[in-house]
Amino acid sequence: MLKKYSIKPRDFVKAGEESIRIQKFLKFIGFDAGLIRRISICAYEAEMNVVMHGGDGEMSMLVDPKEIVLEVADDGPGIPDIGLALQEGYSTASPEHREMGFGAGMGLPNIKKNADSLDIHSGNGQGVHLTMCFEVKTR
Amino acid sequence: MMAGAAQHREPVRYVQIDESLCNGCVLCIKACPTKAIRIREGKARIEGVCIDCCECVRVCPRRAIQAITSESLDLAEKDHIIVSPSTVLYSQFGEDVLPNDVLLGLKRMGFGYIHDQSYTSEIFNLAVELYIKENREKPDAPLPFISPVCPVVVSLIAYRFQSLLKHIPPLITPREIVAREGKMRLAARHGRDAETFKVLHITPCPSKMICMKESILQEHSYLDAAIGINTIYGELKRNIHDVEDDIVLHHSGGIGLSWGMSGGEISGVELNCLAVSGLEETIRYLEKIEIGLLGDIDYVEFRACTEGCLGGPFTVMDKYQGKRNLQKLVRMFGVEKQVKYGYVKKLYDKGWFFTDKKESHEEAITQISAVDIARGIERLKRIEETLKLLPRKECGACGSPDCTTFAEDVTDGKASLESCVFWKDQKRKLNIRP
Repeated sequence: MLKKYSIKPRDFVKAGEESIRIQKFLKFIGFDAGLIRRISICAYEAEMNVVMHGGDGEMSMLVDPKEIVLEVADDGPGIPDIGLALQEGYSTASPEHREMGFGAGMGLPNIKKNADSLDIHSGNGQGVHLTMCFEVKTR
Repeated sequence: MMAGAAQHREPVRYVQIDESLCNGCVLCIKACPTKAIRIREGKARIEGVCIDCCECVRVCPRRAIQAITSESLDLAEKDHIIVSPSTVLYSQFGEDVLPNDVLLGLKRMGFGYIHDQSYTSEIFNLAVELYIKENREKPDAPLPFISPVCPVVVSLIAYRFQSLLKHIPPLITPREIVAREGKMRLAARHGRDAETFKVLHITPCPSKMICMKESILQEHSYLDAAIGINTIYGELKRNIHDVEDDIVLHHSGGIGLSWGMSGGEISGVELNCLAVSGLEETIRYLEKIEIGLLGDIDYVEFRACTEGCLGGPFTVMDKYQGKRNLQKLVRMFGVEKQVKYGYVKKLYDKGWFFTDKKESHEEAITQISAVDIARGIERLKRIEETLKLLPRKECGACGSPDCTTFAEDVTDGKASLESCVFWKDQKRKLNIRP
């Protein structure tokens, strides 16, 4: 089952709403609470990255009884150095972002910690395409 | 056979609907945060999980929905009863009536023992501080911790936000501490069994009843019965006189007294805290915490009622008037703590504050089956198909709170598409033939 959600850059009022929608959707199906938590944390971090740094974005989620694949893509400026962006505390957030409590440089590291696998495609001016996989552990 | 039958009985409900007064309007079904109510054959019925928040009680214009308390305690045997009122009670009699006057009023009503909660609340504040300082630095500490005090919030978390159960510290609430200690001290003093003494809680809301019967956080509750503030109000008011006795039953400062209002509990906790009140806001914040936000906060005080317990359905005084009264009491008694830190630390180390629940409410590693998941996905697909047939007017006239819930009910075989008042039009529009 495939679900799509669109993300508007710079819209801090609505920021996070799509992640909450994803969370509700997964709860509704009946996935384990811990798994849902990991997915919604990743969805939120990825959504916020698009809102803060990206261009128009789309989040899509493929739900299967064995695996959940979350993809977040935007057409923004992209990440020049992925290795650096994955370091805890490394941030390119503006002072405005920090005033709102964002930009601690934990976004991608947090995703890496919570997803079973993470794949990042990006480069200068190429937007960002994240693919996160989550294994569904069942009996 | 008997035991099996007992297990399958209907859960006791403390929110009840008088069908003779209900005209089947949609206000309650729309207000319910767990979407537990439906209109069936023109009358409201609770079919799903009720968390005793009383939103339906508040919105019903015909007073057809009422909250009730237990009648199980024989009030004639008052001399064995320990009365322990919610601190909200102190706000209900105007600004010139002091907590001690209220407690003496209860004494005059003939109750054997009167135990104030506000002092214990201040002790509890320190226990929370000790617990959080001890646990927040641990790897994967469930921050923010969530107050265990409001039973509606605890039920809401257990029902809709299970992954947050581990954010609730395994601490016993002040009302339970008062009940436990009251019974034990009297038992020791009189050389009798602790269960000889019964604890009656005077409450602003019916959710305390659920805690007594089937608590999520405790194996056993020390409270025996609860009575609404509005039930006891008239008689108590007649028994409140100008102070002539010099018995002192109230010992706390202003912080313990402020617990009845939103922000009152955290006013005594010297950590990075946040107070949120009202059901809608509570849900919004729980959603945020569930996606990993607010991790920089140590402790959140949630109260399901707007403005805190002062807004409970059994209160008599308007919540804002009550708040003014409490604020005056806080100014009068001051915010200095009456409790000694060393004393609380000793009790804490003895395990005095911890609940008797054996297994902590760690996330049970629930292994759901692949079949369940596949079924869940299938069900969702069918719900979405059904939803496409509906007009999305969200009117509630079908008896379900909104079109999505109606689509769920149809999918689960609990409702028929024919109950949608727009269904005829929709069939024509979508060109569906019978």
